[in-house]
Amino acid sequence: MSQEAELSDDEALAAEHALGVLNAADRATAESRMAQDFAFARMVVAWRYRLAPLAALLKPVEPSAELWTRIEHALPANDNRSLRLWRGAAISGLGLAAASLAAVSVIVLQGPLVPAAPPPMLSAKLDTAQGQHLFVAAYDPQRQAVVISSLVPPGTDPGHVHQLWLIPSDGKPRALGFVPVGASVKILLAPPAAGLTDSQATLAISVEAPGGSKTIGPTGPVVAKGALTKI
Amino acid sequence: MSPTLSSDPLSALIPRIAGGDRAALRQLYQATSAKLFAVCLRILSSRDESEDVLQEVYLTIWRRADRFEAGRASVMTWISTIARNRAIDRLRARGPLAVAAQIDDMEIADKAPGAEALLEIAQSVEALNDCLSQLDARTRGVIRTAFFEGVTYEALALRLDTPLGTIKSWIRRGLLKLRGCLEP
Repeated sequence: MSQEAELSDDEALAAEHALGVLNAADRATAESRMAQDFAFARMVVAWRYRLAPLAALLKPVEPSAELWTRIEHALPANDNRSLRLWRGAAISGLGLAAASLAAVSVIVLQGPLVPAAPPPMLSAKLDTAQGQHLFVAAYDPQRQAVVISSLVPPGTDPGHVHQLWLIPSDGKPRALGFVPVGASVKILLAPPAAGLTDSQATLAISVEAPGGSKTIGPTGPVVAKGALTKI
Repeated sequence: MSPTLSSDPLSALIPRIAGGDRAALRQLYQATSAKLFAVCLRILSSRDESEDVLQEVYLTIWRRADRFEAGRASVMTWISTIARNRAIDRLRARGPLAVAAQIDDMEIADKAPGAEALLEIAQSVEALNDCLSQLDARTRGVIRTAFFEGVTYEALALRLDTPLGTIKSWIRRGLLKLRGCLEP
């Protein structure tokens, strides 16, 4: 057994994040810490791996039969896979000759060796009605992630939370997550939201009671918004 | 837990997936989707949302297969971690006290499903189960609920009608003991 009487603060936070007991705001803080602090990130991953075997105790449940087709259609068609294919072939060793032939035929079928341009990154400055920047966001379509930084001074209005919304061209707001005051977070978008995130869309922040809006759109006031534009 | 490349049959698929081989991703999907779906469904209790998350998970595997660290975890461990994490993200987006609805037909098997579990995974399940069984029943229960349902401290405190600080200290002490037991 371990001689320690209790987990260090970092280790406890890492374990709690891995177990999944943190609320949305603390979870976002832990995620942004992981992005900045490699040692902490390793700790979280170690805890995730420690606990993961429990998942084997669940009875498997089949998803619907058409899910694979959906996934296959959503796979990026052309993201510099030809380079990776060479490397993958090298790894598999014995399959090298066959894989190389396959790679050649893939390249031939794809036509000229012009790498497909990745979809453009988007950014937005979220301003108040008075034009003050309160948040800066970037969206990476390949990772389907928004990184957003709050310029609101830490400690401001601890009784409320800042909820991030995507407002696509259909005008209906989709909740994306929470942005801790004065911090940066990465928010991974689920496929429906990711598919709607383009240069027609706007990001907005509303001020909500802890836990966020209970309705389908913002309940509290929208304090800042900004259109996504190509970088 | 130190799974090696050779003992994990799924690990051969990963370099192929990193190389853009859709058939390899499909094989991985066929071998693992029902298990990952169970993980998501237990947390989200919605088939539609769980399928959205599952789609995201396999797209993540497709994009990040080159970052899989074979020395650190088995493929199943790696991908179930991604699935659980994404499902919890989705649950948190619903609101602070969102909890998984009870799903009656999803009882947890007492033991790992032997035939389908890889030896390595079965061993790590057994080790973790042994260590969990050394915790008192209350601590074990709360850790298992947190793991399977992905609920917050706040939701656990409400559900068990116990102060938040008490729940935190049960879980922290339980996790400390678990770590000590798994890595003596």
